[in-house]
Amino acid sequence: MKVSKEKEFNLQNIVGARKIRALMYMMHGYELKYFLAAVAIAISSMSRTATYLILQYFIDDYLTMHTAQFGLAWIALSFVILALLTGVTSYVSGKFTAETAEGTTRRLRDYLFDHLQHLPFMYHNQTDTGEMIQRSTSDVDTLRRFYANNGIELIRTVILFAVNFGAIASLNLRLALISIIVMPIIVAVSAVFFKRIGKAYEKYQEKEAALSTTLQENLSGVRVVKAFARQQYEIEKFDANNVEKYQSGRRLNLMHAMFWPMSDLICGAQMLVGFLIGGTMAINGTITVGTYMAYAGLIGWIIWPMRNLGRLIVEVSRGFVSFDRVTEIIKNNREPLDEGDYTPDKVEGKLVFNDVGFSYEDGVPVLEQISFDVQPGQSVALLGSTGSGKTTLVNLLPRFFEYTTGSITLDGVELKRYPRKILRQHIGTVEQEPFLFSRTIRENILYGVGKHVSEEEMIEAAKAAAIHDVILTFPNGYDTMVGERGVTLSGGQKQRVAIARTLLKNPKILVMDDSTSSVDTETESQIREALDNLMENRTTFIIAHRIQSIMNADQILVLDDKKIIQAGQHEQLLQEEEGMYRHIFDIQTRIEEELKKEIESVS
Amino acid sequence: MSVNYFEEEEFSTEFNGKTILRLLKQLKPHWLYMAGVGVSIAAVALADNVFTLLNKQLIDNGIIAGNPEVIKSVLLKYGGLTIMQAFMVFGFIYLLGLVGEKVQYSLRQHLFNHLQRLSLSYYSVTPVGWIISRVTSDVGRVSDLLTWGILDTTWGILNISIALVFMMTINWRMALIVLLFVPVLVFVAVKFRSKILAQYREVRKQNSKITGQYNEMITGVRVIKSLGREKQSLDEFKVETSAMYRASVRAAILSALFLPSIQFLSSFALAAVIYFAGWQFDNNIGGLTIGGIQAFVSYVTFMLWPIFDMARIFAEMQMAVASAERIFSLIDSVPTITNADNATDPGSIAQDITFENVTFWYDDDAEKTPVLKDFNLTVRKGETIALVGPTGGGKTTTVNLLARFYEPKQGTIKIGDRDYRDYTLHSIHSRLGVVLQTPHLFSGSVRENIRYGRLDATNEEIEEAAKLAGAHEFIMKMPKQYEEEVGESGNLLSVGQKQLISLARAILADPEIFIMDEATSSVDTLTEALIQKAMDRLLEKCTSFVIAHRLSTIKNADRILVIEEGQIKEMGTHAELIKRGGKYFQLYTKQFRHQMEAALDPYARAETLPVAD
Repeated sequence: MKVSKEKEFNLQNIVGARKIRALMYMMHGYELKYFLAAVAIAISSMSRTATYLILQYFIDDYLTMHTAQFGLAWIALSFVILALLTGVTSYVSGKFTAETAEGTTRRLRDYLFDHLQHLPFMYHNQTDTGEMIQRSTSDVDTLRRFYANNGIELIRTVILFAVNFGAIASLNLRLALISIIVMPIIVAVSAVFFKRIGKAYEKYQEKEAALSTTLQENLSGVRVVKAFARQQYEIEKFDANNVEKYQSGRRLNLMHAMFWPMSDLICGAQMLVGFLIGGTMAINGTITVGTYMAYAGLIGWIIWPMRNLGRLIVEVSRGFVSFDRVTEIIKNNREPLDEGDYTPDKVEGKLVFNDVGFSYEDGVPVLEQISFDVQPGQSVALLGSTGSGKTTLVNLLPRFFEYTTGSITLDGVELKRYPRKILRQHIGTVEQEPFLFSRTIRENILYGVGKHVSEEEMIEAAKAAAIHDVILTFPNGYDTMVGERGVTLSGGQKQRVAIARTLLKNPKILVMDDSTSSVDTETESQIREALDNLMENRTTFIIAHRIQSIMNADQILVLDDKKIIQAGQHEQLLQEEEGMYRHIFDIQTRIEEELKKEIESVS
Repeated sequence: MSVNYFEEEEFSTEFNGKTILRLLKQLKPHWLYMAGVGVSIAAVALADNVFTLLNKQLIDNGIIAGNPEVIKSVLLKYGGLTIMQAFMVFGFIYLLGLVGEKVQYSLRQHLFNHLQRLSLSYYSVTPVGWIISRVTSDVGRVSDLLTWGILDTTWGILNISIALVFMMTINWRMALIVLLFVPVLVFVAVKFRSKILAQYREVRKQNSKITGQYNEMITGVRVIKSLGREKQSLDEFKVETSAMYRASVRAAILSALFLPSIQFLSSFALAAVIYFAGWQFDNNIGGLTIGGIQAFVSYVTFMLWPIFDMARIFAEMQMAVASAERIFSLIDSVPTITNADNATDPGSIAQDITFENVTFWYDDDAEKTPVLKDFNLTVRKGETIALVGPTGGGKTTTVNLLARFYEPKQGTIKIGDRDYRDYTLHSIHSRLGVVLQTPHLFSGSVRENIRYGRLDATNEEIEEAAKLAGAHEFIMKMPKQYEEEVGESGNLLSVGQKQLISLARAILADPEIFIMDEATSSVDTLTEALIQKAMDRLLEKCTSFVIAHRLSTIKNADRILVIEEGQIKEMGTHAELIKRGGKYFQLYTKQFRHQMEAALDPYARAETLPVAD
């Protein structure tokens, strides 16, 4: 039941909605709990207020007039019972509020996480990582505080005020009205104050951030500092930041020091007026002594909410800002993984590109007129400079990017008819320096294989990827954490872990990024061997930079300025004397000659 | 994430009297302010309690006696007291806040100054994040304990004591009942608070896990997408958010229970007071008045607040003391490299440099595996030495020792014919020019960054250095030229630009020994040529050590050292080593291909091919 409910939950519904409604939608499913929390708060404040009314009963009916129907023990006991009631209801409201706030936040976190990983590639390319994390963590936390504290506090404040005002009014209406004279002043003063202090606080935090930056730069640049013997200079620089922070802290402090006594004075004046009029009324017999005493106790409970209101208003508005920042992420559309009607169990790997083009949303073309075809199991090498479009071309295959014109078919079926999910199951990627997760090597190899793999199979794959022996040298073997202290995998090693992973995934189509040549000589042959193992029986795309690694490709595509300018096999391309391939080859031959000459000249 | 774990490490301290004493010493310079705070908080606590007494008078002598004059006079006192209290409140907030900022200021400055003295070995084992937490959050926590912690405790103790005294004067029997309850309340409140705090620690831990997962997902989104792992990765994330949910709800419920449960406990005190008051009133014992009852009710209800505050302070104290210990541990860490007692400034270090049987291992290596073994080398004044060899072979260590960032564990390094430990650190460091592989700049303008090389340089000298470094041209193309901000750690500039600026900085410093760790990352050919020119200038003037990657640097060096496994495997000029056909030969040919490819950029479609050097 709950699962289906969560499936319906789509936060994109809130985009563009009014804030209050959007915030209500966010806690969808918890409304009743939140409402019950409010009811519990109401009961709890009433029972606290009742304490004072019993006090009145005790003074008037028991002590003064001796008309009390209840004995002393009952009166005393009722204080305990009321406290118990207050306790129980506070617990209930605390529990329900927490469940609402934390439940809402958990769902929001899950939603954002899932949303982010489903957002198209383009979004991730264009958005700063820090910004995404900031929004998903600290802004979400501000929203959590909105539900957990500010929202319920606002409700509590209003209820407290209403209940206690009602209680005083039931004692004496005139007294009640007199007790709230300062209300507009105090609310206004605190609203203004908290707004200003919010700004001062921001400034204070800016200074703190500046201080941290100086510190951070000093610590990470410690070699430069030492090398230039600039310790004294750094100390003075830090001191300047430190003094600024001190001063803004002082200013902040001064504001606090002004506000609290000032609001004390306003509230004190209110109390005085209340006491004066209440006392006079008690002498005149308009109210009883007990009533006066109950009033004296209750008045504090209507002043506190008045004082609190200004602060709450400001804090709630802060929650709204975070809400906007979070919806900035939510409003982007997910990449539909299941969209497409053709779901074959396996693919052969025959690809046909026919006049394919791709341009960004703003219309800037990246690829134009791309036509070629690949038979199953063939290898295609893409050669070209940075920005020639070769990376974009391979990104079209798993539909990370959608080609904007022309057609690509896989086994004769248009690529767009394959759901992305299916397509990606059949495509494996090995990058030059692949991303590994900070978990064990075993988990990294098995990551995304999507089926049960026996220990033998995994080791088999690791051996084929020429990484097994390396892994065994680590202290915990396959259970070594990537990035653990002392264990740092080199680029080549990471690549081979990724190769093992891809071998287990066993895709029909393979994309390999070999564009920047690795510097480490010893491992180059090992990687080569691992890659050869991997390419067997797969349609392979190789992004390459050097001719040596692609000479044997079944097909070589030379890209330049968004287009394919040459296509064919090595020997064939060499024949085209004016072609770029020949040019590249010549340069590489020339390098070898120069090297020979260079060495000879020395000897 | 590893930084976080380092941070979460808790110092297992029970109650460390020494630390607390040392903490209190921080207040010593501000004792006058603290005395002011003491006076004002005492006045506030007294006033709080006198208000209740005034209310008693108002009821007994005013209302019950039917005397409006008393009401007026009592309220007059009430008003006067309110105003006095407001001033006192201002006084303690202001003074205390000031002390807090001052304590923070001086602790931070103290820490920073000390950090400048610490040796590189400290930095190699201590994560930057850990140090930053000490200087920021720990300092804040300590200062809070020293100010608001002390204030709340003082206020709480004063308030309760004064209230008890007043209660005694009103009715000693009832006061005794209340007195019985106080320790129970305090005990339960403190225990409760510690529990809440522990639970929130759990929440924080969980929170950093969640942030970590976000970070990993976002940086690895490409892998997740291509492996179709969205569902599993969400499932894994949900495990963490569920744990977070449970921890937070538990923490929130505990906090929600705190207040009412203490109130519930205290309601027994209230009930006892009422019961006993009624009984005394009925039997006319102890001269209890209605105002007296009211006073008792107020005292008992109000007493909860100081107890709450004190409970919070006691619960947080353990954490603050742990913070203090971490701060003190930083302050107490001793720099491993210091001036010898009779160290001198030789006036110049432009002399021959000798490594004699130098052996070195890093301090954080428990097994003391030598990074350099019995290393011997003599470099003549003005010579240029190129260091080549595999990563981890010992090149960086060699220059680190030369620059005296570290000192040999065995053997000596001599400048001229004296051990360089006979000289002051400053005399060596101030005559070094260092350019690192990843150039480090500081936030600020271009000009400020170049001036870092020599603080008293004029603007003309700065521009001169920039011209020599070949940086002048691109600087002038920037909108604000020399005043252009480089951003945090120079982020707004490209790697090549940062290198040029750090070269200009080194040129301005006019060093006698030049150390450079050449960048491996490729920059465009034009920048490359500029860097080359700037380097040549420095190499010519100084005794130079270059961890070299560029062929031209290597070839032009007076001597090339192939360093591997902590030893010099091959040494000689380019021609000598090529003839030998050994390790250098292999390194060179590989590098040659690599660099030529980059230089000839086959994709450039250039009609005029650049010539190899």
